[in-house]
Amino acid sequence: MKKKCLVAGLDGVPYTLLKKYIEKGILPNLASILNNGFALSQMDASLPDVSSTSWASFITGANPGEHGIYGFMDLKPGSYQIYFPDYSSIKAPALWEILGKTGDDKKSSLSQAYNGKLHKPRRSVVLNVPQTNPAVPMNGVLAAGFVALDLKKAVYPDSAFQYLSSMEYSIDVDSDLAKDQKEIFLKELLGSFDKRKRAFRHFFQNEDWDLFIAAITETDRLHHFFYDAALDESHPFHEIFVDFYRDLDRFLGELYKAFLEKAGKDGLFMAISDHGFTKIKSEVYVNAFLQKEGFLRLRREGRFFERIDEGTRAFALDPCRIHINMEGKFPKGSVAAAKRDSVMEEITGALFALRDESGQKVMSSVFRGDEIYNGGEKDRGPDLLFLPNDGFDLKGILKEEKIFGKRHFTGMHTRHDAHCVLPDSVPLNGKKPRIEDMAKVILDYFVSA
Amino acid sequence: MMDHLTSLENRSIFIIREAYFKFKNIALLWSIGKDSTTLLWLCKKAFFGTVPFPVIHIDTGYKFPEIYKFRDEYARKWGLDLIVASNLEKIGQGAGPEKSAKFECCNLLKTAPLKEIIAARGIDSLLVGIRRDEHGIRAKERYFSPRDDTFRWNYRDQPAELWDQYKSMEEENHFRIHPLLHMTEKDIWAYIQREDIPVCELYFSRSGKRYRSIGCAPCCGPEDSQASSVGEIIEELEGSRTSERAGRSQDKEDVYTMQKLRALGYM
Repeated sequence: MKKKCLVAGLDGVPYTLLKKYIEKGILPNLASILNNGFALSQMDASLPDVSSTSWASFITGANPGEHGIYGFMDLKPGSYQIYFPDYSSIKAPALWEILGKTGDDKKSSLSQAYNGKLHKPRRSVVLNVPQTNPAVPMNGVLAAGFVALDLKKAVYPDSAFQYLSSMEYSIDVDSDLAKDQKEIFLKELLGSFDKRKRAFRHFFQNEDWDLFIAAITETDRLHHFFYDAALDESHPFHEIFVDFYRDLDRFLGELYKAFLEKAGKDGLFMAISDHGFTKIKSEVYVNAFLQKEGFLRLRREGRFFERIDEGTRAFALDPCRIHINMEGKFPKGSVAAAKRDSVMEEITGALFALRDESGQKVMSSVFRGDEIYNGGEKDRGPDLLFLPNDGFDLKGILKEEKIFGKRHFTGMHTRHDAHCVLPDSVPLNGKKPRIEDMAKVILDYFVSA
Repeated sequence: MMDHLTSLENRSIFIIREAYFKFKNIALLWSIGKDSTTLLWLCKKAFFGTVPFPVIHIDTGYKFPEIYKFRDEYARKWGLDLIVASNLEKIGQGAGPEKSAKFECCNLLKTAPLKEIIAARGIDSLLVGIRRDEHGIRAKERYFSPRDDTFRWNYRDQPAELWDQYKSMEEENHFRIHPLLHMTEKDIWAYIQREDIPVCELYFSRSGKRYRSIGCAPCCGPEDSQASSVGEIIEELEGSRTSERAGRSQDKEDVYTMQKLRALGYM
């Protein structure tokens, strides 16, 4: 049988929630998959744990220092102007480019490690993966996920666009509805999930493929606004939340069965999430804190980070990417290279001392950019990256003046609680897997005889 | 071994000659852009210096002055049988991009005059300078592509592309022939450089900006660029990752992206 790999991407589905729901009997299909030679493991998301970065890490098998995606929003080099990275900003080739023998002007340490080992070009179907818009010609079919405005630009080739537009496929649900029209939002969410499933079935059956990646976004959207309902049986939306997971489980079962028929026992089936989720206790506005501590000075005029004023030593981009305002790097840079380390230490000290009103520490860990990132895009990355304790949702927005706050969001991302479902035959060697390791698992599968 | 550009040129010239041989009443659609000017050049080469069929320019009345200047200069120099087709009546009535949606404007000022000229001259086939890498929708295009009465292209029902075996021609209004289909934007510039083909001055950088694709003035925007020669354009394209038509509606997309991110609590 021809080698085939299917990846079900469950955006924001946490390992611990899957564990609990399996115990409660909510996910019988996943439980049966796990009883048939698969293991569910906890996985680390990318740093930072936002979807654009984590998915870019999954599809390229590279770290942000190499693929260049540090978040949904970033600053243009040498300025405080924001821009929104898209697929063209990803500097490393994606799995389907490595396997499909396209995108040959792009190279990464991963693609070079497999140079000459992957012989025949493989065809991929890639559906709804964030950060893949606009679609560029590739060997197969691609319908980009979040953030994409125009379905036509998001889909390759045009025949796939024709199909998706004819069935009124939608790239994403309107999350603004979740603010004050919760029932309507949930109805739309289910509708969009149904369309997504239909589209997946269509391409699964009607396209010839070796690699099939199908990402489901509705889970992430549900979690952002209803994660407090996940385990609270008295929550008015608990039943709806659980029903959504039952439906997701049925679909996983259907996919697995269809995959077995197509690929046999030798196929590689896997499920992954790009990050976990937990309940929000409080949002934390890091720039408000940096302002209060004298690291950041803002003018009233200007758009977003163009408000940064003389004397600023550091600022934060979502969720907590700290950039030191270095001389020569930024227009109003005020920190000399020799002072960089001491400013970083000062900020680390201040942020680790930050506690909420109940006395709980906000931050759990900090990483230096030059230690966690490597590759050609390293210098564009943050100087420091902080991770919070569960419950503290770090925000890089500028408009908040207080440090703690709460809005209508009830769920936040976690780095440590993403999941992967892999065949028992894939060795993890006792180490906790990271999302950027998954590409290698897939490439190894297509290499081995 | 034959070099890349010569092999591309050979394929195009083969298609042009084949088309001229097969169709009774062929014409070339010349937008004065770099692609159709390259196509015109290839037609000259295919027939040893003279283009043996009419060259149609659809004039919307909204083209850049540089385009008219270039058209008139080379129509004269190359001895072209130039037909300028234009919806004078509608232009006179003030039709234009300010008055109506872009699609309507194109329909009124481009498609309608083309339909008229095809009917009036009994044209059965048009040589058009589109390329497969231009846009997603072109991926399924064929070298020989039938159009019905409404000019619709039914990509789901295309004849197999066998040089001599077309299906019955009765239901088709005209055929479009795409001799440049296999070329990319970079190939075109490399060929322009090799052959020293004249192109409209709008393509070259003036005060830090140049046009990457040209058409009607109200619907084209220049891009930041320092490239003021063909060689520099090629160099620039080598480093560029954006598509030829990208950048036009970037502001709109940014506003949308911001809304989506805000709705999820970012920004």
